[in-house]
Amino acid sequence: MKTPLINRLHTATFSPAIFCAALVCTLVFSANVLRADETCSSPYLARIDGQEEFVYVWTLGVEGMGDGSDKLVTVDVKPGSSSYGKVVSSSSVDGRNEAHHGGFTDDRRQLWLAGLESSRVFIFDVHTDPAKPKLTKTIDNFAETTGGAVGPHGAYALPGRVLIPCLSNAKDKGGKTALVEYGNDGNYITTHWLPTKENARGVSGAEFADGYGYDARVLPRKNALLTSSFTGWKNYTMDFGKLTADPEAMKHFGNTMVMWDFHARQPKKVFQVLGAPLEIRWAWGDKHNYAFTATALGSKLWLVYADDRGEWQAKEVAPISDVKGGVLPVDISISSDDKTLFVDCFGDGKCRVFDVSDPQKPKQIYEKQIGKQVNMVSQSWDGKRLYFTTSLLARWDKQGADNEQFLRGYAWDGKELKPAFDLDFTALKLGRPHHMLFGSTKIGANRTTVASIH
Amino acid sequence: MMSHRGGTSAVSSQVFGRDGARPSNRVWLVTLAIFCAGIMLTLAENNSSRDSDYDYDPPAAGSYNLPVIKPAADGALLDSNNKSVQLRDLTRGRITLLSFIYTRCAAPKACPYATGVLTQIHDLSVDDKALTKSMRLVSLSFDPEYDTPQRLAAYSDNVRDQKSGCEWSFATAKSRAELEKLLAAYDQTVDKRQNPADPQGPLYHTLRVFLIDRESRIRNIYSSGTLDPRLVVADVKTLLLENARVSKQ
Repeated sequence: MKTPLINRLHTATFSPAIFCAALVCTLVFSANVLRADETCSSPYLARIDGQEEFVYVWTLGVEGMGDGSDKLVTVDVKPGSSSYGKVVSSSSVDGRNEAHHGGFTDDRRQLWLAGLESSRVFIFDVHTDPAKPKLTKTIDNFAETTGGAVGPHGAYALPGRVLIPCLSNAKDKGGKTALVEYGNDGNYITTHWLPTKENARGVSGAEFADGYGYDARVLPRKNALLTSSFTGWKNYTMDFGKLTADPEAMKHFGNTMVMWDFHARQPKKVFQVLGAPLEIRWAWGDKHNYAFTATALGSKLWLVYADDRGEWQAKEVAPISDVKGGVLPVDISISSDDKTLFVDCFGDGKCRVFDVSDPQKPKQIYEKQIGKQVNMVSQSWDGKRLYFTTSLLARWDKQGADNEQFLRGYAWDGKELKPAFDLDFTALKLGRPHHMLFGSTKIGANRTTVASIH
Repeated sequence: MMSHRGGTSAVSSQVFGRDGARPSNRVWLVTLAIFCAGIMLTLAENNSSRDSDYDYDPPAAGSYNLPVIKPAADGALLDSNNKSVQLRDLTRGRITLLSFIYTRCAAPKACPYATGVLTQIHDLSVDDKALTKSMRLVSLSFDPEYDTPQRLAAYSDNVRDQKSGCEWSFATAKSRAELEKLLAAYDQTVDKRQNPADPQGPLYHTLRVFLIDRESRIRNIYSSGTLDPRLVVADVKTLLLENARVSKQ
């Protein structure tokens, strides 16, 4: 291999002083880019320069409340703004679709929002006016186009395209499902079905393969795509009380995670992870080859990590509370320095904070009652601001007075969460707030354009 | 602008600007930024082994499929010989790597990195007959006002290690209107930075390199984090094997 272009161009001007200055330059650029942003999004995503200005909230419509439709609610979180902590725009889509998760395209110009029940995907322009996103396209033939995948769970930015992990299939509405790719232009590309015992495709751990899906996240420098598993359409559209009283239905939850060769999109190894492993959070450090997940039904923290031989392994590393029957951990958020993990527990409405400096031995260091119920948590890149919402699924949310529906902002000082603002989505007749994503008028360079600062 | 083989004219075009004036503070920052890219590129220099950015063994060529993403759009270009040419003429019949760039870019791991990767792949093609005759590289500038055919020719002289090897064309859009159509068709976002003297260059853009098959269809899109020369070559060879299989049928 010949000398790289850049080296060749600069050989004549190299000096130790300039080399040091170049390193400083890299760190300066890195600092600019890394100053603030959410910690749970795709590494291929263009990043916000500075602090987030808006929180986009994908909100489930409630019959008889306001217009009753699902909507994208935009909340101003600019410090010092006269409308700080207030709704600045709301854009409704057609009807109720079981609004769930979403994600930006890699250039952060579009926000794709998925409906679990209708299998529709709504594409918003968040570039032209980030304070007022506009619906530009709806994908309403998802099952037909994808070869039978249904229940699009979210959208994960890849270069020039989005990866949509699904929860179910059109044939039996059970948990066997697929990963689907669409181009940034909204056109379908391809479908990858999760491995099953019947169609294991040479995967290691085939005896565990249940074909279930939920989250999908990439660690680029390891060419690793990791997926988790939840349950199918029949279960997530069922009344929660009825579901838990149905022993047969309760058998149909995912108990696996799958490691894929990301570039080839080929499954390589199935891990048995009992109790519905949901959100996946890869660590950010450039030598941190591991990801966390929490099992909703098992109430455990799990670690997927590369062992001393570079082999991927999965192990349970900590219980999430000692409450009998579990606390239904749902969303998790890792800090950008990989030291802290926030765990939202729907069952008791608490956020539990773990010290994960030693990823093999997480230790709970704090907990905070966020509300009667809590679901999602989003964290700024600098770790100073956290936002919480409440809705899990339309038919699974708590009833009566326990059915609080809010977006709450908090400040985190490393020791405790202090309230910053509170938006009551019921009083505002907006609906049930679910996934949050950050918006800004200042979009910076890609995360992957800089070396890690860790 | 004069070019000097093995010299610094490509850098000069970025650093000294249109008039070749003495470097300013911005110039030094640009130089440093390019150094940053150089340091990072060095990490990815050896295309046969792992490194910290690409710490894995790439899949074997032909062991996976590359789905069709969409047709590769055509457009009217002006090449580095000041000759009018259609982009389709540069992508038809060979497997093409199309890299959107601008020569003033100094963002770490953006255009300098992409061009560096193409240089490595071009070097590889010298000793690989299949790549030499079946692959083509195209560097397409989205900064036509600055990246004149003369500047592109100088840039080309500096980034090509080898006279032999696969074809490598340098071009820009024939007009601003043609450029806008191309950027839209390829979903290549380009914005002016608020500070035109930004040390990373005056334009902000996503990094996009496209793999286009012989039938002018996009088969992969690379960006930072996926623009690993080993993966790109595996993809090109996967398409070659696909062609060979189709030919046998």
